[in-house]
Amino acid sequence: MNNNLGMPRDTAIDRRGFLKFAGASAAVATTGLAGCLGEENGNGNGDADEIDEFVVTQGEFVENADPNDHNATPYYNVFDQVYEPIFNVTGDGEIEERVVTDWEHPEDGVVSLTIRDDVLFHGGEELVASDVAYTINRQVDEDIGFPSDQVAGMTTIAEAEAEDDTTVLVEYEGAESLVEFQLANFGRAVNEEWVEGQDQPISDDMNGTGPYQLEEYEADVQAVYTRFDDYWGEEPPFETVRFNAAAESSSRVGALQTGESDLVVNVPPTDVETVDTEEGIEIRNVTSFRNIFLVMKSEIEPFDSQEFRQAMNYAVDNEGIINSVLGGFGQPMTQPIPEGLFGYNPDLDPYEQDQALAEELVEESGYAGEEITLQSMEGRYLNDAEVAQTAASQIDQLENVDCEIEIVPFDAISDAASEGPDFEEIPFYLIGWGNPTGDADYGLSPWFTSGGGQYNFVDEELDERLIESQQIDDEDEREATLQEINADIREEAPWVFLHLEESIYGVRDDLEWEPLQDESIYIDQMDL
Amino acid sequence: MAFGKFLTKRLLQGAIVIWGVVTVTFGLRAASPGDPVNLIVDPATSPEIREQIREDLGLNEPIYVQYIEYLRDLLVGDFGYSYQSSRDVAALVIERIPATLELALAATVVAIVIAIPLGVISGTRRNEPADYGATLFSLVGISTPNFWLGIMLILVLAVQFGIFPTGQRPVALHDALWTFATTLHAGELLTWVRHITLPAIALGTYFTALITRLTRSGMVDELGKPYVTATEAKGLPEVLIRYKHVLRNTMIPIVTVLGLQLGTLIGGAVITETVFAWPGLGLRLINSIYALDWPLIQGILIFIGVGFVLINIVVDSLYAYLNPRVIEE
Repeated sequence: MNNNLGMPRDTAIDRRGFLKFAGASAAVATTGLAGCLGEENGNGNGDADEIDEFVVTQGEFVENADPNDHNATPYYNVFDQVYEPIFNVTGDGEIEERVVTDWEHPEDGVVSLTIRDDVLFHGGEELVASDVAYTINRQVDEDIGFPSDQVAGMTTIAEAEAEDDTTVLVEYEGAESLVEFQLANFGRAVNEEWVEGQDQPISDDMNGTGPYQLEEYEADVQAVYTRFDDYWGEEPPFETVRFNAAAESSSRVGALQTGESDLVVNVPPTDVETVDTEEGIEIRNVTSFRNIFLVMKSEIEPFDSQEFRQAMNYAVDNEGIINSVLGGFGQPMTQPIPEGLFGYNPDLDPYEQDQALAEELVEESGYAGEEITLQSMEGRYLNDAEVAQTAASQIDQLENVDCEIEIVPFDAISDAASEGPDFEEIPFYLIGWGNPTGDADYGLSPWFTSGGGQYNFVDEELDERLIESQQIDDEDEREATLQEINADIREEAPWVFLHLEESIYGVRDDLEWEPLQDESIYIDQMDL
Repeated sequence: MAFGKFLTKRLLQGAIVIWGVVTVTFGLRAASPGDPVNLIVDPATSPEIREQIREDLGLNEPIYVQYIEYLRDLLVGDFGYSYQSSRDVAALVIERIPATLELALAATVVAIVIAIPLGVISGTRRNEPADYGATLFSLVGISTPNFWLGIMLILVLAVQFGIFPTGQRPVALHDALWTFATTLHAGELLTWVRHITLPAIALGTYFTALITRLTRSGMVDELGKPYVTATEAKGLPEVLIRYKHVLRNTMIPIVTVLGLQLGTLIGGAVITETVFAWPGLGLRLINSIYALDWPLIQGILIFIGVGFVLINIVVDSLYAYLNPRVIEE
């Protein structure tokens, strides 16, 4: 979702490797430091100054201007040009000099952050430690301002307090590495006094410390930014940047073709060839950290049977769906988390379609002749309804299972996900899950621990192992534990593992920029 | 006196219709699946906070209590707050009205400019190629879905020929007019015209086809009347007969339809605004439907309903004022 990474596809890396990329991409994004992407950033080539305005067109736009009120990538992309992350972590696991310049653990469960003394907000106020403490508390404390959606990403952080003008103490419960991931991904410095003077949540103004400052904001429509002259880091590439939205994909592609937009998101596979063959524009794509899968609630028959759940996995042809429904864009899932995350198990393979085996497993489960309904939303993820339809029809091809498809609003699915493992109304549904923190915990704990917001699968032992994994400080041990958990979950088959969604962008072909797996867009990572 | 009674009756009927709209939208909200609290906060938010939100929004009350409270709030102009943005629904609706009105009016202008001459030509040249052409145009215009037409216009006139932009509304009409009035620079006004042309054509095509048909049939009716023969016998030029006398009489029902169709255009703008990313009420309605932001959905639908009713009352009243026989009937 936010400050993650720009690692190349098909590259398995360890946690430090992830951090290296995370640090590099976010550093390039906000400080203009040369990073691990292997290219000079900022406006080094000078061509960026030759265009009046750089325009990014997304499919949706944020409805208010509060950086803590949402937890969705397209919204973070709008905010990340103005509100910068409080720190990054280098490939060696060290703090990178950002808003936070130093990091140490004076005692167990406490981390001390040292704040830069030369950072100004766009309103002219100086950034002090109490602003950073307030930033964190506003996310994790439901009584400050309003309950922030971002609390879900900061589960280990208890509270923050300013010790003096440049030192913040953050209390946490969990492994150090988790705290690092969570703060690096969700912390964006806001000014306490300014925020407290606004409506809660903030409706139409921004005041961050990032490389761009807000010129114009129209809810649901667009935001226009200009360079912030007093930015403490290097100058970003374009003088003016505009983020807008066009919900209709053909309109977005049209805007790219006519030059009204310089970068558009979510180009449909059917338009890929059109864009790629046109002069001056091209497609850039990357496998994202977003999983698409079918959830089976373990307390509802027939999904309480491991054999039946495995049968569903063997019934579906992931590769076929990717090739036929998604135009070849996507990667089959091998486990609950995407490749590249800390804790990913490289030794696992996707379930391969084997309908005879699926039928056998259904017989073993004792649920032969069962009639089930797969429910899916339409329009939330790339060709989601078509994916669900194909999967349902492949399950329906089994001799001993009948499967129907039903399209329902996303909200009904979202409710089903949070209603627990015994919710009978929607026991089998398609959903997607982004993994912004770079750590397996964000992809596993919400789904497989009883306190998680998306708890759909009851396995007390798994629940305990996951909670314990959050407390393991030794990185190698924690990684091995998470890999083992991933292998066990694959075997338990709580989901029909489908694919990792592909992020497909249309861009002007002279743009120096590589898409990031976390779907983030940082303007100062670009150049022409 | 009779007119006053007529107006009162119409206002009462209008109030009943609006109450119906309010009730239906509330009923849809009550029947829709999903927990509104999930739209306001993350599922991971503590049960205490979720319960507090439920309490604050009155979601724990029986449905009839929620309904009565909603009606009471509406009567004092309180439409509630958007689940998504936490902003006042009335403000969210009002700020989008200008863009939608601009589009609806531009579509009306497109319809008038094209449909009336076409209808006149079609009506005065019956069974000639021009008539067949106009009839075919009407048929195609009425049958073409505006979302498809919008996409085709973008592909052909924006992408292929680069004549118009693909959408967006970089400047509001009132700002462009103000700039023009104060500086005599027409740049912003031209930008507005370029950006609104394709959406206005997409939205106005059905309307254009409808008015063309109405104009044609009106012309045909009027041309057969004795006064036309009399004016021809007096030796008046044909152009004068057609445009001064016949067209004027034909315009009475057309003007009525124009007024009534303005409400339909506001409703039809939902799709057009989405295709062209035109930031009006329709686009906001679509976004709120995607997000199941019920307070906003209700607010927009009620506004559209009220607009429809008011336009109808104004048109009916004008009719009654100009033609008192309507009151007697």
